[in-house]
Amino acid sequence: MRRSNIIALVVFLVAVGFVLALNPRNTIKIQSGFLGIVAPFFKTGSSLQLRVAAYREGLKSLVKLEQENKLLVVKNRELAQKIDLLKGLEEENNRLRRAIGYEERSVFQLIPARIIARDSGSWWSTVKIDRGFDDGVDSDMPVLTEDGLVGKTTTVAKNFSTVLLMADETCKVSATVEGTREQGIVRGERSSSISMPEMTLNFLSKTADLKPGQKVFTSGVGGVYPSGVPIGAIKDFKVRELDGRAILIPSVDLTTLQDVFIVVGKK
Amino acid sequence: MFAAILIAGIFLSLIAQEFIPPLAWLHGARVLIMPVILFYGALALPFGGMLLLAFCAGFMWDAMTVQMVDGAFEISLGWSIILYATLGAVMSGFRPLFQRGRWEVHCLVSGFFTSVIVLSEYVMITIRRGGFVFPNEIWWRIGGSGLVATLLAPIFFFALNWLAPHVGHEIEYEKKGFN
Repeated sequence: MRRSNIIALVVFLVAVGFVLALNPRNTIKIQSGFLGIVAPFFKTGSSLQLRVAAYREGLKSLVKLEQENKLLVVKNRELAQKIDLLKGLEEENNRLRRAIGYEERSVFQLIPARIIARDSGSWWSTVKIDRGFDDGVDSDMPVLTEDGLVGKTTTVAKNFSTVLLMADETCKVSATVEGTREQGIVRGERSSSISMPEMTLNFLSKTADLKPGQKVFTSGVGGVYPSGVPIGAIKDFKVRELDGRAILIPSVDLTTLQDVFIVVGKK
Repeated sequence: MFAAILIAGIFLSLIAQEFIPPLAWLHGARVLIMPVILFYGALALPFGGMLLLAFCAGFMWDAMTVQMVDGAFEISLGWSIILYATLGAVMSGFRPLFQRGRWEVHCLVSGFFTSVIVLSEYVMITIRRGGFVFPNEIWWRIGGSGLVATLLAPIFFFALNWLAPHVGHEIEYEKKGFN
């Protein structure tokens, strides 16, 4: 072996040793810093992808846009009225809850975010979103859509974050089943299909009488996820040696997801 | 200069990969471009250059993918560097053939090593998470990524081979015949 190669190898081993010896705190800092560097590239790539998609869809005619705009204005008025009505109901609900000594149900503050990239790794189910700590995002914040739970934030950079999806095996959520007292832990399956991710609800009682189609919601235990957020619906239930296990169909289509909301705190 | 171009290529390929969806017809196998560029670098650059490339590629890949689970990192930042350097060193062993102007075998080896990378990741997370399961879906993802890399390798090898002399990098081709 040449002398220059030996020197290169020694320098390499020292550098690798240094990286491997990093503690989790410093690793998070490095990850966050690196995500900050790649963020502009992802954003550019994402907007290019959107432009290409728009081009492929074809430009809509002015007449069509005008019609769509009229419909949206009407829809917007309808929704504004519904929100007013719901606000009144919420106040009434909280007043009644106070009257019977229940804790007030809080409304969560949501930040909209756009998915700008998906993980290219084979074994992790993550997406990257265009919001970071500059927008008030922190790690372990729930991410959802109007259909249900999506996952939680993990690594957070300045204006860019990674979201661990529900379909990932390491994303565990405590859950309850609609119309029952059953509680369990939902998690993704390592070998489930990428196009049709499946999740399982584990640690149910063996006597649980669960039917396909029953809805599963977050239970709020653990503190990360608020209670009552839809997770999915029961597809199948099987009794194992020690517990019951249900296979779920996610309520959110994780493969075509484009826009999400981050729960940043209570209003 | 050429090493810097390859590092930039690795960086850009890492970003490009994220915009390529998994291949449903290959059971969700991913299109991995970065390893192809890395293995080309292992052939075109001297040993020190290969180590630098492996360090940059492994570091960037881990910084982008490793996840924190229950307060600890599932896979330590830096493990990919060792894996890439090891595979890169094996690839360097094929340099004499590459220097004779041949790179068919190297394209096949690039694909095979890409599968080795994906398999190693799976073994690492399996050890960490437990439950040693290897259903067909997993093998498709491992083999599929390698197959796609094998198909992509000739394009990248050709493009980078064309680029090398234009940026002043001389690949020391062996002269034919006896001198």
